[in-house]
Amino acid sequence: MNTYSAASLPSGDNVNAYCFCVDLVGEWFVKKGAMIAHYGDVTFQAVTAFGSARAFLASRFASPVYAQDWVVASGTGKVLLADRGFDVNSFDLDGGNLTIRAHNLLGFAPTLELKQSIVPGYVTLLGSGTFLASSNGPVIFVEPPFRADPEALLGWADCPSPAVHYDTEWMAASLSGMLQGVLGRESGEERQYAFIGAGTILLQSSEVVREDPALLRLVEQQTQQLSRAQAGSLGQRLVARAQQPNR
Amino acid sequence: MPFEVVNSKVVRATVSPQRPVLARRGAMLGLTGDVVFRPVQGQGGGPAGMIGAALTSESVPMMATTGTGTVLYGFRGLHVTVLDLDGTSPLSVEADRLLAHDADLQTSVQFLGSGGLRGVVRGAATGQGLFTTRVTGTGAVALLSHGGTFALQVSPGDVVGVDPQAYVAHTGALNVDLKAKVGWRDAVGKGSGEAFQLHVTGSGTVHVQASERKLS
Repeated sequence: MNTYSAASLPSGDNVNAYCFCVDLVGEWFVKKGAMIAHYGDVTFQAVTAFGSARAFLASRFASPVYAQDWVVASGTGKVLLADRGFDVNSFDLDGGNLTIRAHNLLGFAPTLELKQSIVPGYVTLLGSGTFLASSNGPVIFVEPPFRADPEALLGWADCPSPAVHYDTEWMAASLSGMLQGVLGRESGEERQYAFIGAGTILLQSSEVVREDPALLRLVEQQTQQLSRAQAGSLGQRLVARAQQPNR
Repeated sequence: MPFEVVNSKVVRATVSPQRPVLARRGAMLGLTGDVVFRPVQGQGGGPAGMIGAALTSESVPMMATTGTGTVLYGFRGLHVTVLDLDGTSPLSVEADRLLAHDADLQTSVQFLGSGGLRGVVRGAATGQGLFTTRVTGTGAVALLSHGGTFALQVSPGDVVGVDPQAYVAHTGALNVDLKAKVGWRDAVGKGSGEAFQLHVTGSGTVHVQASERKLS
């Protein structure tokens, strides 16, 4: 049994497959709830509260939808980050861009800039620096051309934005599949994200998708584009869906 | 060998017109090439199998993967074990543990109650229901489990005790019997927690998962 101290904890490296130790000097963005322990003089402040004091830093976090799910760790010390016992991986970006499922991003250095992706539920990191992501099982890297299941897609780097691919044969073969499509329920494989061009795609074993509160806010925001009549009929469909028994 | 192990939770299948794959619906993680998915109802095994599957909930929605390409399969972060069947002995497994298998393999629903009252009691007490799925033929099967599986060899004369929750599947000529040893301690909630055990005898292999958590 290995007992760690502030000195013997790894510096900017994995403690084990499920936990990462950040050697904090200055600031880091950390997902709420991801911090499991820390050594040293470290304070955790909501991004929104921190922003008033250090406007420059808050400007790195250009996503109001996610701001309330994140904190800024500032000070000097060692911070241990983990997520639900999932594998934690650190990645270094060097002047690149990487888009990742917002839920699986655990933390990133403020040298990186965070933007909301136009794919709902995903965020894009730009610039140079380290970030941490969790995945269910080891991350699988694949190269385009590739089509990915939305639940299994962890993120992508340097790829053109994905297009949605519908498996029309599936739709035609299954009447129930059609009905589910109409109601907006996607549990099969009829909807895939298609990637082409050069880049890298990150996959994980599909997880039981957890509720992402930010996704609700995001989709709600987008319904502003609908007319009143459209919004009304969407509302009816959503009510009908909410009343269906769980599958 | 149509299933290549990518990591403990993901397998990669090479699909060709000669080698379609049946997989659980929703288990596709990603694909390359020209591959389409078609929903499949029931279990095969003719009309009787269909009825059996419909009646018994020993059926999970499956899909046929056809075309040419490679497909990654995984399900809810569960561990995956690949077993190769050589056609000499069928595999008995719960339907909801089947992640994917060669479309050449036949699956049929088997009634546990044919062993008399004992089979019925076993099914009810272990939460496995009265039916199990039998996979026959030559090919590969990918099974789901919590925490991975390991294989226990059973030889004639051996008795292997298995926790009903940890039991995943078995191959070979095996008898799986429920042994209950319920005393007054269990009745007042002070039992060992191991009152029910599956006693496996015969000749074959039993696959056990490293967890007492059932899938569903």
